[in-house]
Order: sequence, then C-alpha cells, then structure tokens
Amino acid sequence: MQELQELAKKLLSEGRVQVVIGYEAGAHGVRPAFVTDAADCGRLIFDPRCVHNLAVYLSPRRSPVKRLGKPAVVVKGCDAKAVAGLLRESQIKRDDVVLIGVRCSGVLADPRSGATLTGETVADKCILCDLHEPTLVDHLVGELRPPLPDMPRVSRRDLMLERISAMSPAERWAFWQAEFSRCTRCYACRQTCPLCFCEQCVADKSQPQWLETSPHPRGNLAWHVIRAMHLAGRCVDCGECERACPAEIPLGLLYRKVAQIVEARFKHRPTEDPEVPSPIGKYSLDDEQEFIL
Amino acid sequence: MARIGVFVCHCGENISRTVDTAAVAQALGEMPGVAHSTDYKYMCSDPGQSLIQAAIAEQKLDGVVVAACSPHMHEKTFRRAAANAGLNPFLCEMANIREQCSWIHDDREAATAKAIDLVRMIVEKVKHNQPLQPIHIPVTRRALVIGGGIAGIQAALDIADGGCEVVLVEKEPSIGGHMSQLSETFPTLDCSQCILTPRMVEVYQHPRIKLLSYSEVESLEGFIGNFKVTIRQKARFVDESKCNGCGDCTKKCPQKKIPSEFDAGLGTRTAIFVPFPQAVPNIPVIDRANCLLFKGRAKGKKKDVCGICARTCTRGAIDYDQEDRLVTEEVGAIVVATGYQLYTIGKIQPKEYLRGYGEYGYGEIPDVIDGLQFERLASASGPTAGEIRRPSDGKVPKTVVFLQCIGSRDPAKGIEYCSKICCMYVAKHTMLYQHKVHDGQAVVFFMDVRAGGKGYDEFTRRAMNEGALYLRGRVSKMYRDGEVIKVVGYDTLSGEQIVLDADMVVLATAMMPQLGIESLAQTLSVSYDQYGFINEAHPKLRPVETNTAGVFVAGACQAPRDIPDSVAMASAAASKILSLFSNAELSREPMVAHVNPATCTGCFHCERVCHFGAIQRKEVRDRQGNLIKVIAEVNEGVCQGCGTCQATCPSKSIELAGFTDAQVFSAINAIFA
Amino acid sequence: MSTATTAQQKPQAEPLADPGLKPGVAEGFEPKIIAFVCNWCTYTGADLAGTSRIQMAPNVRMIRLPCTGRIDPLFVIKAFERGADGVIVSGCHPADCHYAVGNYHARRRFAIFRDLLEFLGIEPDRLTFSWVSASEGKKWSEVVNDATQRVKKLGPFAAYQSLVDK
Repeated sequence: MQELQELAKKLLSEGRVQVVIGYEAGAHGVRPAFVTDAADCGRLIFDPRCVHNLAVYLSPRRSPVKRLGKPAVVVKGCDAKAVAGLLRESQIKRDDVVLIGVRCSGVLADPRSGATLTGETVADKCILCDLHEPTLVDHLVGELRPPLPDMPRVSRRDLMLERISAMSPAERWAFWQAEFSRCTRCYACRQTCPLCFCEQCVADKSQPQWLETSPHPRGNLAWHVIRAMHLAGRCVDCGECERACPAEIPLGLLYRKVAQIVEARFKHRPTEDPEVPSPIGKYSLDDEQEFIL
Repeated sequence: MARIGVFVCHCGENISRTVDTAAVAQALGEMPGVAHSTDYKYMCSDPGQSLIQAAIAEQKLDGVVVAACSPHMHEKTFRRAAANAGLNPFLCEMANIREQCSWIHDDREAATAKAIDLVRMIVEKVKHNQPLQPIHIPVTRRALVIGGGIAGIQAALDIADGGCEVVLVEKEPSIGGHMSQLSETFPTLDCSQCILTPRMVEVYQHPRIKLLSYSEVESLEGFIGNFKVTIRQKARFVDESKCNGCGDCTKKCPQKKIPSEFDAGLGTRTAIFVPFPQAVPNIPVIDRANCLLFKGRAKGKKKDVCGICARTCTRGAIDYDQEDRLVTEEVGAIVVATGYQLYTIGKIQPKEYLRGYGEYGYGEIPDVIDGLQFERLASASGPTAGEIRRPSDGKVPKTVVFLQCIGSRDPAKGIEYCSKICCMYVAKHTMLYQHKVHDGQAVVFFMDVRAGGKGYDEFTRRAMNEGALYLRGRVSKMYRDGEVIKVVGYDTLSGEQIVLDADMVVLATAMMPQLGIESLAQTLSVSYDQYGFINEAHPKLRPVETNTAGVFVAGACQAPRDIPDSVAMASAAASKILSLFSNAELSREPMVAHVNPATCTGCFHCERVCHFGAIQRKEVRDRQGNLIKVIAEVNEGVCQGCGTCQATCPSKSIELAGFTDAQVFSAINAIFA
Repeated sequence: MSTATTAQQKPQAEPLADPGLKPGVAEGFEPKIIAFVCNWCTYTGADLAGTSRIQMAPNVRMIRLPCTGRIDPLFVIKAFERGADGVIVSGCHPADCHYAVGNYHARRRFAIFRDLLEFLGIEPDRLTFSWVSASEGKKWSEVVNDATQRVKKLGPFAAYQSLVDK
C-alpha cells in the first residue's frame, strides 16, 4: 500500500498527472478516490474490497473527471482489459493516461461485508481470472498473494449456466422473465460500465424508438438482449453492472453466457492487448454456420 | 399527414387472378396518410404510367407506392415516371405482389390478405422516405498503372490509346517484367522478346504515358476519381535527362562478376548496368551494394575509391550524389499489375508457412535449376546464347529431368493452389530442349497434366509425341553421383521405383505474389488472400475490380496467370477505367451511409466492418479550435451502400439512405397494424 | 453471494405467460412470419420462385434490405414485439455476397444473437436463418414452408405477445 501511495505522490508532485484515481476507505466500505493533492496520497488503499472498475472514469463522457486533468488510474487485471477496450475503440489515447497496475489475487463478492477473502467469499469473476498482473500498465505495484487454498475450481456462474441449459425453453423463459421483470430501467448497469460509452444510448433514441423505455417486461427483455449483444466480445467481466443493479438482476450470469458463446464460436476472450480486435467487426471464413439452412 | 398514392396493378390477370386487387386498393385507401388509391390493368403501360403521373399532379402526392411486380423488374420504370411528374424518384417504391404473392399462392383470401400487408409495409416505409439526389463525384481522367510487366504494359497502352493519360510505375530499372526473360512462349513457340519489345518501346514513346521506372508507390490518399499518389523515384545515380544510353560506362565498370538478376543468376553483370540490352528505358543504374565507390563511402572512406563510370561518361550523366525523389501524381483510377515471383526452393523461405525442398539439392547441386533459369539457358540473348549447357561445367546435358508441381498443390510445403502455367511451360521446355539437343532425352515427373486452354492440350500432347517421357509420380530424393544427378522417383502408373541418371534437373516451381505485396495492398486498401494474391471484388462478376472502388487488378498478382490471361485482364481493367473516364463526373445512386455527428462516439466499429474503406476519421473542434472528439465520416464516393455499418453501430449514429432505421421500423410495425 | 445463489434465493416469480409450447394450441393457427432478406440473393431467389410459380405457405412477409449485413438484431426483436410468431433472416451464401463480406458479418452477429435468444428461452425454431441464392427459388419455398411448419407446431408466440399485458 505504501508503494502505491508513494508512487501516486511522485506522479502528482512531479506534475506527471493532475489526479490519481484510486480507492479509499469510506463510511460504507471502500469507495473511489480522486486525489489531486500529493499530500493526500495517504488516503489511497488497495485490498480485496476494491472491486470497482475505475476505468469507467476514463470515458470521455465523464466530463467532471476529465476536467480534473490528466489522470493516473489504479487498475486490476480486469480493469486493464476495460482500458484496452477504450483504447481499441478510440475513446482514449494511451499517452493521455498513466496506468498504475495492482497485482490482484482476487476481490470480495460483497465488498461491504469486509469478510476475509476465502473461496467462499471471493467474487465469481476472480475464479475465472486469467490476469492477476496487468501488463498494459506503466507501473505495477503490490504483491501477489498465494492462491486461496479453497479457491473453487469452477465458476459458480458456470455451474448455474449448466443448470439453465438443462432447462426446457419454457423454464428458461420463466427464469429470465422473473429476473427481467424486476428491472426498473434505471440504467445503473449502463452508467457503471466502462464500455457503455455511447454519447446517446440506443435506449434513449426516439426516432425510431427501437427500445420501449417504460419498465415493462417486453421493453426490459429487448433492453437486456440488445445490451448483451453490444457487449458481446467486449465485456471484460468486471462485474460492475451486476453490483450496481438495485434489482439484483444476475447480469453477470447473462454476460458470462455471452462470453461463453463468443469464446466457443470465435475462440475469443477479452484481452488487455488493445491491438487484438474484438470479434465483432471482424469475421472468419471458417465461422461455424450450423444454424443456417 | 403524408399524401401517398397507391397504385395496384392487375398485371393483366397475373396478379388479379389470385389477389383481389380492388380490395387491396380499397383497404389501402382507408389507411391514414394514403391520399389516393386505385387499381389498373397494366400500371407499367403508358396509360398506367400516365395515371400515376396525373395523380401526382392532381392529388399533390408526396409519395407513390406501386403494388405490382418485383422492384427488380420495374422500379426504374416507375421512379422515372414519378420523376417526370416532378416527384423525387426516391419517394416512389414498389410492393411486390406478383412474384412474391399472386404467383406463389392459390388461396385468394390468404393472398389478398398478404398483398394488403405487403403494400401497407411499403406505404409506411415511403412515409419515411427522403428525397435523395444522385451523388456526383469529379473524375481525374488519368490512370496509374503499378507494374511494368506484360499486364501493366497492356493496361497502360489500352488506356493511353483510349485518350487518357497514364502514369506507369515500375520498381525495376526496366519495364518488361518476367516476360522479357522468357525464351519462347507456349503454345505457339513464338519468341517472347519479339512480341514484347515493340510494346515496351511503344510505352516509352507514347505521348500519353509517363514512365517512372525504378520507382515505387509510397502512399495513397483519396478515393475513386480523386486519388493522390506519392511515388518514390529511387536514385539511379544516372541523370536520365543527360544519358543517351551509349553503354560506355557499363563496359568500363571494374565490378564485373555480379550475378545478373535478369539471367536468373546464370550470367553476370557490372555494378553500373542496364538489366538487358532491350531495356526500356535504356538508362543504366548503379547498384549501390556492389559499386566500389559506394562501398567505399559506406565504409567511411573520405576519398572515393572509384569513379570510372563518371570519368567515362562524355555527357556528365553520372551523379553519385543523386537522392531518392518523391513525386506526387493525381489520378482517377489505379491498376495493380505487380506480377509474380517464383517459389524459392531451398530451406530458407521468405514466409513462415512455406517449407522448402531440402531433398532436391537446389542451391547445392549447381545443375538443379528452376524454370526461369532454364528460360535463360534456352534464350538466344541468355548467358549461353541459346545453347542448352549446364551451369556446372558447360556440358550439353543428354538427359534432363523436369519436375512439375514444385511447391504448387503441396499443402505440406505451404501452397495448396495450382500454379496453372507449369504444365504448359514444362511441355515447352521439353520441346525447346529436344529441338536444340537432338539426341537428348527429356523426362517429366508429373502429378496431372492440366492443359485447359485454346491449343493447350494439343501442345502438351505434342511434347509427348516429340519424345518427352512423361512419368506420373513424385521424386523423393536427388543427389550428386560423380557427373550425374541421381533422381529417385516413383512411377505410379507402373508401380515401380525409378532411379534416373540426369545431367540436369529443372524444377517447375510455384508462382507466388511478389514479396511485399501485402504492404502495397495495405497502402491501396485492397484485400488479399492468405498467400498475398490480391482479391478481386467478386470472383465471377467483378474479376478485375478490387474492394476499393477505382482500384483494379490485372495479371499474376491476382492469381497464377499465363500471358494471354494477364493481357485479357489488363485490357478488361483498362476498359473499366476508360468507361469510368468517359464522363467528367461519376454519378451514382445516393444509397450511401451518413453519420450523425451529434451522436457518433467515434468507436469506429463502422470502420472495422466496412469492406470498402469508406469510413474516414474526422475531427470535431469547438470554436476555439479545441478538439472535442473524433468521429466517423462516410466518403460518398467509396461507400457501396451495404449498410453493415448501421447494423453494427451501437448507438445507431450511422444511417443508410433509402434503408434507414425509421423506414425499416415503420415497415415492421405496418405488418401488425 | 454468488449470482447463482442469489437467483435461487429470490422467490421464483410465476411464469409470466404461457410459454406457447403446447403443440396445436390454436386450431387452424396461421402464424405471421417476417423475413428480412438481402436484395441480391434471397430476394431475387424469391422472385425466381414466383417466376417458376412454386407454391408456398402465405405466412411470410418479406422486408427487403440491401444486404444481410444491414439486418440488425433490433429488427428481430421489434418483429417479435409487434406480434411475429417467427422470423426469417436470409441472404447470400458465403462468398456470394454482393458486398463481398456483409454476410460474414451477419453470420457472426446472428450466431451470437441466436444462441442468446435460445438461452433466454426463445425456441430456436422461431428463428430461421438461411442462405438462399438468386437461383434457389425452390430452396426459398422450402425455407418458407419449413419455417411455417415449425412455427405452427410451436403455436402463437403468446409468451412474447403477452409480455405487455402483464
């Protein structure tokens, strides 16, 4: 932690950045911190409660953050993949941001619980994690802790997905309708997503209005289908949408499924290499077409 | 409220037999926004068209829907009729109730109900149609031809003869390409130089052709009709305006033992050289890598160690301090005709997926040569003045073994395709050899003889009849045994292993695109296949166009091609270009995409899916000049109107005119109205 | 804590609608099917079916687009929302695309979309994808008849259509 604080202090005092975006302790657990004064760097922390994907603050649409000046941002592996997404899709330039990578052994599923990190309490995304040490970064701090002895071998979501695939279409329909019916269309999922950066979301477009905006099951289904399509091959599984959802819709489950589809069909996983194109926008002559008559 | 006119056609009885056209007209008449609805026996007839035109005027219609046959049949007819009545033609659309309704259903009730739906959909669509104007793009009537082989020469001459200027760029010091190295050509056995040289001279003397030899395309900007190309003219160290091609400098050059590229390494040249006597332009070039003076300068010697050529030249044309020059040319169309190179046989390969043939001893056994080297041996202008003498000791070989499909059709060696020309040139080689060495025996190992083409099969049969021994099978190994080369092969027809004593072996190696073609293709934004061959826009219907409008392809850079094919492609590309140049402006349908700058976020998914490179990046700045964002912009001259960008755009900030979201949305809604 | 248990712990809501799975629910049910097709191959192939007078089910309403690349998953969603019982998406065979690669992009897009809808409980038989060339009038009629039959078997898409009433 000291390493992180000292690095932030150095970056700020040398004027290399104007703001360090990291984590600090707040009244209800950990929260994002925007440190602009080198003297304040002692606030910065990193521990398993630091689940937030701070890459979201790099989106050019976040104008209040942008006004703070050139940022340094603390990124875990999954967050670095989101930064790569922003680079890949021309939303930021690499030189306009300093990336402070943190070695991450996993974060809590429920950061407010403040529980010890165990196989039980670890976030599901961390079971699937393939990037404990981001390499896209300018600086890398922290230490990798030994793997959790009781780390589950299989993602809990993957187990759930197996159960869902075994259901009949009617049961799957009922399952998802039960979930989507709670959606109030507050769009917290969208706002917290680093890769939902459109200036005008298709959901807010009125001519024509493809997506019905009132929170009824029909419009809700359309919204969640289209958002999943837009994130296909782009979602970095940071899990922020599900965490932000006040209706507790298992969005992580939905996007995990889409990731499985994309990986099975196009052998693609989101990476932190901005040069690797996303699978949408390219094609292969050999793409499977078993579903086409 | 819209004022749409609906015109339901009976098509004689073709439609009215199964669709109640009066009922369709009536149902549509009740639809909001439909100001006029009627049916008639033949809408496409003159009275039918007059009916529409009269209604446009009298009813002040702002949209027309003709419910009749397929738009592929009569959309142009009715749009023209609407235009003649003063309505923008793109406000007129057709509902297909014949091919897709009356002709495929016999249940009158169901067919009528479907027809009503189909017309409603189009009416709702037309309510959202916008008047569109054809797009006009100015055209620079000047072409760039890249590559001065036979394909490039043909294309340049055809375009220039058609009255337009041509810039011909050739990377070598002379035009002529591979054809200039050939001795005779199949299937007529006429001398290659004899038919090629006059064309080369014609290029040089043509008032409308600007030849830039020893030059390469550096970069390209613009789009169809309006390209700006930057060309690097490499330093020759000889001033073209002063040199008269006397050749004194080449005779005096002390560096005489450099393997000649033109003679495929079998002959030698000097450091200042003209690649071959008939070269065009006949102006030497100094090969820096082998010139004593430049070698000395490279070592940092203060004083030049040579300079004989400059002292020899009476015209003062030698300029050791010449530098590469960049020239810019404006052209309206481009022909890519960069040709081929041969598969390299040895173990060291230019690309990872290629595997050489170590087992054939190429490069180790001097008398194992490739097809182009044999051409040079057989050529009257070659290193042996046309006598077939083997490279090692100059003896006349009495048994020559030819191996076909070296590289080609051999996935294990990295190339799956057939190089197409080798069966023919091997047959030619056996004949040339046996004509010159009367007691010689030509033996050919082949997999298949593929001789499709006019006079081609007859030609290969002639080779066999004239005494060449054709053995079906592959050679597994070759090694030197004293003076001879042991060729170990397998004859699959007799089922026997064969060991032959050959005096010389000729490998018919595969044709590959020129190395570095990928970077040229990227410069020109044209696509290429896994081997680097330039992709044609459509394998059947657009064989000489590329995915980039205004860039055409000819010859062996597109696929293995022989001379007649290359020339035919070149002429085809030239005629495409001349038809493009026949108007001062390029006029095209306005069905192109447009970006909404207010909502475009600049993620450039559209750019990634656009096969035609129509998406450009545009900076949006505020009044103080601060960059706000970079967004997509469509080049109307390049967009082909497929709409893939729109389906991909997450925020729907790009719209294809004629098929906008509002139009499709309304059509979908209409079905269940 | 995990999504899996979250989903389990919450009271399972009543299925919102009859999933419309009972075969033959509606006697004499005539489904409405929307086809989104490309102009150059499938639309022309359908024209050929007409010129050849090949009879087929009258349930399909066609919307012509330049290319399958233009076909947006939003179209399919909207069609279901408006009451379609089935949707067909059809275009040029691989390598035949008038725009060279629009169909490849569409193939990717709809591969994901199809798998996703199946996962959400929409019977794959309600969605038909086909390559129909300009010369395949016969094939087009088979695609239409086949899709109509399969959707008939599934019955009206009541599950989707009743989403609004709830």
